[in-house]
Amino acid sequence: MNDLVVAILRSGTPLVYVTLAGVVAQRAGIWHLGLEGVMIIGAASTIIGIVLTGSLGLALIAAVVLCVLASVLLWFTIEKLKANPIIAGLGLTGLGVGGTTLASQSIFGSQASITAPFGLPRLGEAFGPFASLSVLVAAMPFVVALLWVLLRRTRFGLQLAASGEHPFAARGAGVEPARMRLFALAFGGVLAAAGGAELAAGSLQIFAQNMTAGRGFMAFAAVVFGVSHPIGAAFAAMFFSLVGALGIRAQLVFGDAVPHDLLLALPYIATVFGVWLSGRLRGGAASSAFGELRDY
Amino acid sequence: MTDSIPPALVCRDITVRFGDFVALSDVNLSFERGCIHAVVGQNGAGKTTFARVAAGLIRPDAGAVAIDGQPMPLGKVREARRLGVELVHQSFALPPSFSIAEAMEFGAERFGPVFSARGLVNRWRSHLEALDIDVDPRKSIRDLPVETQQSVEIARAMVSDASILILDEPTAVLSPTGAEALFERVRRLKKNGVTVILVLHKIREVLAVADTVSVLRGGRLVAATQPMASLSASAIADMIVGGTSANDDDANALVGAERPRHASAATTGATAAILQLDGVSTLADGEGPPLDDVSLELRPGEIVGVAGVEGNGQKTLVRVIAGLAGLGRGGIELAGIDVSAADLAERRRLGLSIIPFERNSEGLSLNSSLWENWSIRSLLSGRLLRPIRPGALREQSDAALKRWDVRYRSSEQRAGSLSGGNAQKLIFAREVHDGARLIIAAQPTRGLDIGATAFVWQALRDARDRGAAVLLISSDLDELFDISDRLVVMLSGRIVADYRPPYALGAVGAAMTGAEA
Repeated sequence: MNDLVVAILRSGTPLVYVTLAGVVAQRAGIWHLGLEGVMIIGAASTIIGIVLTGSLGLALIAAVVLCVLASVLLWFTIEKLKANPIIAGLGLTGLGVGGTTLASQSIFGSQASITAPFGLPRLGEAFGPFASLSVLVAAMPFVVALLWVLLRRTRFGLQLAASGEHPFAARGAGVEPARMRLFALAFGGVLAAAGGAELAAGSLQIFAQNMTAGRGFMAFAAVVFGVSHPIGAAFAAMFFSLVGALGIRAQLVFGDAVPHDLLLALPYIATVFGVWLSGRLRGGAASSAFGELRDY
Repeated sequence: MTDSIPPALVCRDITVRFGDFVALSDVNLSFERGCIHAVVGQNGAGKTTFARVAAGLIRPDAGAVAIDGQPMPLGKVREARRLGVELVHQSFALPPSFSIAEAMEFGAERFGPVFSARGLVNRWRSHLEALDIDVDPRKSIRDLPVETQQSVEIARAMVSDASILILDEPTAVLSPTGAEALFERVRRLKKNGVTVILVLHKIREVLAVADTVSVLRGGRLVAATQPMASLSASAIADMIVGGTSANDDDANALVGAERPRHASAATTGATAAILQLDGVSTLADGEGPPLDDVSLELRPGEIVGVAGVEGNGQKTLVRVIAGLAGLGRGGIELAGIDVSAADLAERRRLGLSIIPFERNSEGLSLNSSLWENWSIRSLLSGRLLRPIRPGALREQSDAALKRWDVRYRSSEQRAGSLSGGNAQKLIFAREVHDGARLIIAAQPTRGLDIGATAFVWQALRDARDRGAAVLLISSDLDELFDISDRLVVMLSGRIVADYRPPYALGAVGAAMTGAEA
């Protein structure tokens, strides 16, 4: 049982951080399909940063700065170049996945993966069965709670939500929706950097090409499933990783009786199911992902 | 004499351009403190633009604004609000998912930045009470009836105790009784020292509430803050219209000056009904209140008006006639044929034409060309894989658009590039044809200027005289009274009253709000 909880926390925590980035963006009116790209930039720069500088602090600063820059780039294409947010987000994902591959190959040659000598600090023996988890896992519930307060219990959170839901209303109250979206994406960049760092340096200390493997899109699905509520979305992300962990267990139990690929696909199948379910529960609100922002 | 007390709001030489279009041209206006000022004009006269400049939402290309003698930084809502200017929009502008308390809080700076759920409600309960708005602050904006929603908008505007409150077309969505309640609220605000600027387009309302009136026409100032005492209704009407060729009743209806007497009596004889709704109830579908046991009969050669406060089932009525809403009980007959289960294409073949509520999203494909928009009527009724000849369709549409006096450059131009009036004429050119036996006209004149409105009315009358039945849904009672041969009132998905001319404003207004037993 403890093993299962540890496995869920280990695989779920990166997903939760990236999901939160998507929640903040969505509250401000952007359905963030660039999460995958920002997350892999965070993962790659953490590991490459550690290898090149030998300093975790410098590596994390690099990860945060690059992820924020990538997010600001997304804001710029949407807000200033008037690109469609969905297309621009997918473009950022392509940039992240391709760019990190290019960077790792140009620095380290054609290695399949890069291993760092150390990763994020661990919780240590005091935490018993959770000793091997990183500090970012322990911080995760607090980040979720703080974000809930910020989004749902502060005037700033209301202004952010107004900017997303009814930009004209926000402007009428003296709030600049474009500025709010810049904040939302940049702040999301910090959260996605944490998610990427946890994925690469939380337990493995490895960066491999395309190592996010669709987790950014799963996080996006968790945003939809969790109705853009920080706590709901965090639970949705944990649910997806629960299904993944159960899939791995099932491989051990069933062996070759069940196709290996099917079990590996379980989290993705759960994702589709979750999005479908949330669409049903909310009367198809998910389709508003492609709606125009109201600014008249 | 007023040197010591500067006016509440002064606009000097305001000019606003949108591309080539001049929305406001050298407008000079000055509003005294503590009065109710009306700004009137036709659609497209620049009233809303003026209101938005004063509230800092639009930065004018030239000119200056001063509040209480202090210059206001232009195009900055925050600065305008700091100086005490608040604007309540024509189409309401609060996020629908917000609770009332959240809607108050997000634009206020009265309290600390963090709150608890209960604390938020307590913050705003007394504010609402002080304004006599009796509503639970936990309710969602989207669940409020329009009249409450407007009160909440006003409360939102007053969160920082504004000294100048601008209301943009506040009566457009209200019933006559709702409008009277609004005016009462406005008079109370005036008593508390608030300067109120009402953007209106009905003279009757101006006479009822305003101390001064300013008239805009085509972006230019025709009259600047004239005291009401010095003006007659017909003088204001002349200034608004500036000499159009509509007949007198239409002219009066256009500016809401006085009640037009009804021109033509209905010519309904014993002819068979074209549309018959028989005890129709619809399934709830989240797009408005469902219909509840609606029976309605339309005969050839009559215009039946549907009055009602918006959101009382008018949209569902149109959708159920079109076959787009789930029919729960009852039956629908078109030209004597039961179409309860027929799809829209079948209904259109039987002579149904629809001028929809939203001409830009439901009526036209803005990214398609004019000829494509026009010929979709015939294309949809044919076989799916029938080859089409664009050249022939272009010629036919050119001829039709000329006949309807649509102003355009080329039939290849995008429908989105037409002005509102021309876009509506394009829809009329498509929908109003010899085969159209039942024409549903949903808010056909909303947002149109006087010339285009008169055109639409004439087109509907011509269709009626040709023998078509017209169902006219409108929230403008002047329009309904002027051209309907018969009038029904909708309330909460039911038809609650049925009138024949001459119509009495009081009775219709009471039926709209359910005040009538």
